[in-house]
Amino acid sequence: MRAETKLARTHSLGSRMSNETFITLFMLCVLVALFAVACAFVPNFYLPRNMINLLTNNWYVIILGIGVTFLLITGNFDMSVGGVIAMTGVLSVYFCQGAHVSQNVLANGLGLPYVVSVALALLCAMGIGAINALFIARLKVPSIIVTLGTMMIARGIGQIVTNGAQRNTSLPDVFGTLGNMVLPGTTIKLAVLIMIALVVFGFIFEKMTVAGRRMYLIGANAEAARLSGIKVKRHLASLFVLSSLLAGITGILLASEFKAGVSSRATGYEFDALVISLLGGVSIAGGFGSVLGMFVGAVILSVVTSAATGLLLSPDWQFTLKGVVTFAAILAQRFALDKRKG
Amino acid sequence: MELTENVLEIRDLVKDFPAVRAVNNVSFDIKRDTVHCLVGENGAGKSTLIKILTGATLRSRGRILLNGQEYSPRSTKEAKQRGISTLFQELNVVDQLTVEENLTLGIEDTRFGFLRKTDKVNAMIGVMNSLEPSINPRQLVSTLSVARKQIVEIAKAVATESDIIIMDEPTAAISESEIKRLFAIVKGLRDKNVTVIYISHRLDEIFELGDYVTVMRDGKHIETKRVSQIKDRSELIRLMIGKTVFEEYTAPEGGCKEAILKVEHLSNRKLKDISFDVHEGEIVGFYGLVGAGKTELARAIYGVDECDGKILFKGKKLSPSPDRVIAAGIALVPEERRSQGLFTILTIRGNVPVMNMRKISRNGFVNSAQERKVTLDYIETLRISTSSTEKEASKLSGGNQQKVVFAKCLFADADLLMLDEPTRGIDVGAKSEIYGIIRRLSREGKSIMIFSSELPEIMNICDTIYLLYDGRMKATMRNGCDIDSEKIIHIVTGGE
Amino acid sequence: MNAKTRKQDSLRAQTDRADTVRSNIKAFYIYVVLVLIVIVFSVVKLGQVEMFGRGHFLSPDSIINLLRSAVPILTLSGAFTLLMISGYIDLSVGSAMSLSAVVFAWMILNGVGFLLALLITLVMGIGLGFVNGLLVMKLRITPVIATLVTLNVFKGAALLIVPEGLSAIKGSAQRIMPAWINDYAREEVLLGLPWAFFVAILLIVILVIVQRKTIIGKYAAAIGGNRAAAELSGINAVKWVWVLYVVVGLFAACAGVARASYMSLGDPLSGDGMELDCIIAVLLGGTAFSGGSGSVAKTIVGALIIMCVTTGLMTVIPAFWQTMAKGSVLIIAVVLNHLLVREKAT
Repeated sequence: MRAETKLARTHSLGSRMSNETFITLFMLCVLVALFAVACAFVPNFYLPRNMINLLTNNWYVIILGIGVTFLLITGNFDMSVGGVIAMTGVLSVYFCQGAHVSQNVLANGLGLPYVVSVALALLCAMGIGAINALFIARLKVPSIIVTLGTMMIARGIGQIVTNGAQRNTSLPDVFGTLGNMVLPGTTIKLAVLIMIALVVFGFIFEKMTVAGRRMYLIGANAEAARLSGIKVKRHLASLFVLSSLLAGITGILLASEFKAGVSSRATGYEFDALVISLLGGVSIAGGFGSVLGMFVGAVILSVVTSAATGLLLSPDWQFTLKGVVTFAAILAQRFALDKRKG
Repeated sequence: MELTENVLEIRDLVKDFPAVRAVNNVSFDIKRDTVHCLVGENGAGKSTLIKILTGATLRSRGRILLNGQEYSPRSTKEAKQRGISTLFQELNVVDQLTVEENLTLGIEDTRFGFLRKTDKVNAMIGVMNSLEPSINPRQLVSTLSVARKQIVEIAKAVATESDIIIMDEPTAAISESEIKRLFAIVKGLRDKNVTVIYISHRLDEIFELGDYVTVMRDGKHIETKRVSQIKDRSELIRLMIGKTVFEEYTAPEGGCKEAILKVEHLSNRKLKDISFDVHEGEIVGFYGLVGAGKTELARAIYGVDECDGKILFKGKKLSPSPDRVIAAGIALVPEERRSQGLFTILTIRGNVPVMNMRKISRNGFVNSAQERKVTLDYIETLRISTSSTEKEASKLSGGNQQKVVFAKCLFADADLLMLDEPTRGIDVGAKSEIYGIIRRLSREGKSIMIFSSELPEIMNICDTIYLLYDGRMKATMRNGCDIDSEKIIHIVTGGE
Repeated sequence: MNAKTRKQDSLRAQTDRADTVRSNIKAFYIYVVLVLIVIVFSVVKLGQVEMFGRGHFLSPDSIINLLRSAVPILTLSGAFTLLMISGYIDLSVGSAMSLSAVVFAWMILNGVGFLLALLITLVMGIGLGFVNGLLVMKLRITPVIATLVTLNVFKGAALLIVPEGLSAIKGSAQRIMPAWINDYAREEVLLGLPWAFFVAILLIVILVIVQRKTIIGKYAAAIGGNRAAAELSGINAVKWVWVLYVVVGLFAACAGVARASYMSLGDPLSGDGMELDCIIAVLLGGTAFSGGSGSVAKTIVGALIIMCVTTGLMTVIPAFWQTMAKGSVLIIAVVLNHLLVREKAT
């Protein structure tokens, strides 16, 4: 009993912050610094509305980021999410469009009720996740390759169903509710609330659940995890399906917002999801990282891209900026962690 | 430069680790162009000595003279350049290249980048042929058996004019006929101006191959002698184990208990027809030296490796996969703690509850307070030296890391615990603590299987001792009744 | 020899025989696949299909067209293979190619002569590869992430060079793109094929020789096969893989020049997806993903297969099926590669 209380006391006194918390706080400081710089140079940056926008504008990338972060923690990539968004959106429209409505092929769908369409479309999204799981967890193929392939297959499905364009007619009014709903009295979209809820759930999952713990264990040492009785293959499979499901939900919301299933939607979103995770301190080496960090990373990306827009830089700057910022973040995080150890 | 009589002279060599002095003032000579064997039990200091010679670790004190000149390599590459090549169990060949390409790796003759087949290359192939003519230089190394890959490595060492080739348990993974071939080659190396340092626990090999033998025990040099001057195995064994006093073993009370684990005719690539029982509350020891098959046996039962045969646990057939074995009530402390047992980038708290999350969670949610309490309990019980549960496992000392792995497995509440080299790298005090815990668990009715290559450990706590050699179970002994340690060593080194 | 060793030897003989069959399949399947694909596309819609308006699949005109548009991937995939053999990857090759096309076109448009423009572009390619090598080998950033970063940086650079409002560096009323830009990639020099094609063939031959007969090829295989053993033998892995990244950058620049010449303009998106094509070619060619083994020659056959499939499919299926098709080809290539390659034990 003595030893326990003594240890407990030192634990709370000299309680050493975990590396993860350290990096998240570090990137938070970076965010604040960047924000300050942006305010100094970009007109109108320091407005409440702008700040809210920074936090909520890329809600879709953040939802994707949850799945991508989880998979990065286990040491895997998921580049298929952008394609899954497009596919799910298109399918939800296609399933819901009225049947036999017009001569135009793109105006005819399967005429299913909205809820059924959404459910089916999400099932298809999870199917993509299952394919990923099959190849990566079972056949042990490098995840970067497989998910690039399934990304193309998913997007391809979207393109086939829309003949390469989009489907946006013969839709019941209910189709547009989810994507355009706002919290009464504010301009906060339902999608943003869903994003916040999912991030909170994601955080609870990774920090407080058994399954979340196991995710870190697999990433830290897959062999030791297996010898400790963790069903590694099953776990990875669930994470891939979850990631695709999150992408599917995003697709449904976007399709609903624009009342259209566009085959070219979400191009490049998978890379953005990867960027915000890396900015947030998630490591591909596995076993390290948090969705909170990813959220901070998303805001950093927001600040950088909207500062660039505010400075009237052409959108072409996005690519270079994202690359450079990611690179800088990786080096900065490594430097900060090294300094902390030494 | 005149060649000295001794190719290697070791003087007062010392190597200290934080917890132990692994090499304790060792001095001896190795004569040129001989086969010099190095024997000793596990923990005698052989591997540390070899690590110093190959540049894998730095000596703490002392001198080494190689060909009469100071020798203190700072890397394995430097050792190789100075003329000491090593044959390890993990082969250092590139499977995807041909034999010829492996022989010339790193020392190719080129003109404008093009690989040329010069006289030097032909000479190397000639060396290869003189050792083993049936190996085609143009075949891929991946098509060769382990034994032949070893021969390729030997050929490379000879052809690059190594003075010394160290062979570390080379016969552990090859067949009988291949062993004969290897011996012929080793004997022939003397004529090629190569000195062989041969490490093996298979004493018959010492007598067949060796010119000299050095015996080490507890980090000290015991004796170096001409093999021809050693009477028989017993003399060698006596040198190896000395007057080891084993701690008093006390047999447990209570009558015959049920058999909780029944293994019948277990066989796979390494294991040959192993059968035994483990009873409730029994501590069973599996003793054997390198390559005997201990880890393979543990892994086969745990469901990690495939095997034939019948394994019954609590009367039911055991499913061959770790998660189901754990669910049935068996937990394993693996051999390699860093790569198999521990999650090094996680904290102690992140490691300990892993095998029994149900106990610290409800409905899938982890109870942090309980998690911390459990971790603190084990830190106290096992006396893990740390200031916080949040310390990264990688920052703990080896002994403390092993204790964390131990805690992890104890928390699994298994009825049968399998411990593979449980006190490797742990200081004497901690060892004692762990033995105390094992005994207490046995009194509480848990069964324990210990796989170990340290005889004192086995003799200290095990009720029943199984001796393994070359994948076979060679003998069974009950502790407490007149155990002859000489006989034990005799059996685990290949005697009948 | 006692009974036990006799049994072991006969078991080994059996596996040896199985191995021989297996390695024969590995050696030849890819040529079989290529022939099959050509046959399939020739037979499908026989007589009805006009490939690029010039007759069916096996007609000389369509073959020439196919080979002409295959120049970039033929140029690039060989070097890509060498890098993969050493166990490393470069996902930025497509953007490096686009950037090179843009820079080259810009120079031509602004009066620089062909050879000088070519030289400068190639030097830039070396620089791009050098940057990749720096990130991966010196700064030790995971190859996938490092080259995704450079993918975006190169792509951004290419987009920024193109003036606002234009989609590519091309001729306009104010400034005409000299017509001779086309000569390199389109002018019929021999058998109806342009300079660029023969340069690509020459480069392939060089790479095949480099892989089989020079120290670069051997060290790439050694590093990819067993890096520890390679370094123990004194091979400096950092240096050699860095060299391979530079080579890939150089060849990407060469491919970019060919593409710009072919299209008479510098399109900053022209190389998009090239890295996927390279990966598919490499997978079909039987190169192990973890490195150690692989063949430039087989990758080239794989590249031809991709070209046949994509151009053949273009005539058979509508444009919006292309992405799905390519994704499926990648997955099929992954499966084939998995069946053929016994990954080295980790």
